[in-house]
Amino acid sequence: MPLTLQYHCSCLSSKPTPPPPHLPSSAYNFHPLHTLFFCEECDAVRCNHCVMVEVSGYYCPNCLFEVPSASVRAEKNRCARNCFLCPNCRNTLSVVPSDPPDTGDIRLSAIPVSAVGEPPFFLYCNHCRWDSAEVGITFEKPTGLAAQLQKFEDSAPESLEFERLKEHFEPFLRASSSSSPAHHPTASSHHVHTNPITAAASSAISRDVSGVAKYNPLARSRVGKDKSANKDEMPEYRSRVEIGSTSGLGGGGDVDVEFVKHLEDVSEVANLEQRWVNSWASSPRASDLKPLRIPLLSKKTKRCPTCRHILIKPEQKAQSVRYKIKLVAANYLPAIAVAVPQPSSTEVAKRSTVRSSGGGAEADKGPEGMLAGKTYPFHLSFTNPLYDPIQVRLSVQRAQYQASGEAPAPEKARRPPFAVSLPISAFPIAAFAEAWEYEDDEDMFGVEDDEMGDADVRSRDREGRSKTKTVGVLEKRANVTIVGGEVVIGKEAKGDVKFNMLVSYTYRSDDPGIDETEGTPSRTASKGPVMKTFSFYTVVDLGPIIPKEEPRPDPDL
Amino acid sequence: MDPPIYYSKSEFIETDTGNKVSRRATIAGPQNIILGGKTVISSGAIIRGDLRRTGPGHAVVISLGRYCLVGEGCIMRPPYKTYRGNFNYYPMKIGDHVHIGANSVVEAATIGNHVEIGKNCVIGKFTIIKDCAKIADNTIIPPNTVIPALSLFSGSPGRYVGDLPESTMEVVEMGTKGWYKRFVAVEDR
Ligand SMILES: [Zn+2]
Ligand SMILES: [Zn+2]
Ligand SMILES: [Zn+2]
Ligand SMILES: [Zn+2]
Ligand SMILES: [Zn+2]
Repeated sequence: MPLTLQYHCSCLSSKPTPPPPHLPSSAYNFHPLHTLFFCEECDAVRCNHCVMVEVSGYYCPNCLFEVPSASVRAEKNRCARNCFLCPNCRNTLSVVPSDPPDTGDIRLSAIPVSAVGEPPFFLYCNHCRWDSAEVGITFEKPTGLAAQLQKFEDSAPESLEFERLKEHFEPFLRASSSSSPAHHPTASSHHVHTNPITAAASSAISRDVSGVAKYNPLARSRVGKDKSANKDEMPEYRSRVEIGSTSGLGGGGDVDVEFVKHLEDVSEVANLEQRWVNSWASSPRASDLKPLRIPLLSKKTKRCPTCRHILIKPEQKAQSVRYKIKLVAANYLPAIAVAVPQPSSTEVAKRSTVRSSGGGAEADKGPEGMLAGKTYPFHLSFTNPLYDPIQVRLSVQRAQYQASGEAPAPEKARRPPFAVSLPISAFPIAAFAEAWEYEDDEDMFGVEDDEMGDADVRSRDREGRSKTKTVGVLEKRANVTIVGGEVVIGKEAKGDVKFNMLVSYTYRSDDPGIDETEGTPSRTASKGPVMKTFSFYTVVDLGPIIPKEEPRPDPDL
Repeated sequence: MDPPIYYSKSEFIETDTGNKVSRRATIAGPQNIILGGKTVISSGAIIRGDLRRTGPGHAVVISLGRYCLVGEGCIMRPPYKTYRGNFNYYPMKIGDHVHIGANSVVEAATIGNHVEIGKNCVIGKFTIIKDCAKIADNTIIPPNTVIPALSLFSGSPGRYVGDLPESTMEVVEMGTKGWYKRFVAVEDR
């Protein structure tokens, strides 16, 4: 079991505290640090769930052609060059001439070289050996295949039906979007912008489904009236093809029954995954599968959902991995890693790992679990990404196991299965400097950092250290500080050793004027830069608890 | 805080530029192989620098950049094809910060920078892997596949399954540098 530590994003929730870690919803609220963004404007963490996403460019994942957005729509979001997916296995297909390559070696000829042979040409899969000639698709020329295939696609009955549906709904959509309340200014100072994708998704979710009443807690009595007002403004839709006549095209019926009756091999039936990208009604026969034009991928710009400032703006070139704007949380928050020290001595570890040197089996797996009734130390390493030193304070989120709003019932209530001790006082982490990256000497900066700590804090720290060696600051080097914590597992405990930890760090802000709670502007101005505090939640997972019901009782207890 | 990865000092040959090559690896045609520095070739790996293009003179067959790792039991073999009746091998070029997991077979044409390839993968002939892409463990990439930048591929055949985070470059670089630092020799007795 790998040990994990993830960071919380409140996703604009009005409740800034994360859910208790044992609830399934916890997983959706926490993310690895390197997937998070940071909005300087809002001074807040943002994640991929809450950012606004805009497409900044389309490209084909196979030929890497950057498709202008004007042609994306006409080409139906798929590559219009010679890029196709195997309908059977989703590998990329090759264009092959009819004459086999003239090498004596069969093994070598398995991969077609280039399309300069005799027509007709067909598409061939070098993974599963599917070829388009099997389904009657061949080409006179090896070029412009996508256009030819798109002609088939566009003339398919379901595609024509869809076009007709679009035409039918277009006037209604245009009318409703112009009267949409989305553009109304909101009185609230907490302005929330909605992007078109989110708007489309939310309207799709909240649309009327016939026979299902819409949930509207505020206007229960009005539902009936609204319905009658909105319905039947449109003319009735007449379908192009009657569903009864689609037999054999996936509409069910006698043709499909006959097909299934005479089935000799399961592979004759196209499986769900192979049919998934097609319309709902598609032939069940594997022999009817058509090559697929490759769907385009996109590069994305990401914005803060609250203030709309850009957090991610990729470079235009599709294959560039650089960004014009990249505001990631890793440049603002300390990176925290968690480890449980292995009980074995270093010498034993050396001997056991030396054989598997050089990749492969890395021995960084956590322990099997923590035994109920025992006490374990753990380490948290903090790496400071800022060019200024920071002070960090930790606390465990409490009352996680009580039912919300109720007074804790005596004894019988869910007792926390474990208790976590963390350093009580703040501890410093030195500033990041580019030089650290190449620095191998670890003792250079192991000195106490006097700049920020106050005497009171340090004396308490010493007390803590003398009491128990495991809890407190263990090591300081470069911009990394390692602190120790301890977890006591209850005798009856089960589940995971997983807890929410609040991390607060104080840093020097160059932002003048706006001060936090303490100090008048004049005082802070005379003292130079302002100290600011930023807090965020994390969830620490130290792995599963091994319950008491072990075959052999532990002699330590 | 990851623990060091120890190796027996006598097993590896270390070059001036910090490359570490296992004596238990098979390096065929070493004059045709370039290692960029701080690159590790693990034990049991086979690197076929001998499969060179026909014709006179010196030719680079396989080049690896800095901070790369060729895992245990990997096979690195240049791609080949018959073009207009002539059979030939083609060079394989691999960028910086590329880790290849144990027991993978690689016949790619080019692999960019900051690429992670898992264990037990097959990277087919003439595959092109762009920067910051990742191939999950046990993935089979058929010949001639193109893998776009910052994409994750997995399965058999390997397919696009998602985008990688914007900070992949930094994360991978930290990982490969950290790995090299943790890869330390112990004296033999
Ligand atoms: Zn979020
Ligand atoms: Zn913002
Ligand atoms: Zn394409
Ligand atoms: Zn196939
Ligand atoms: Zn703003």
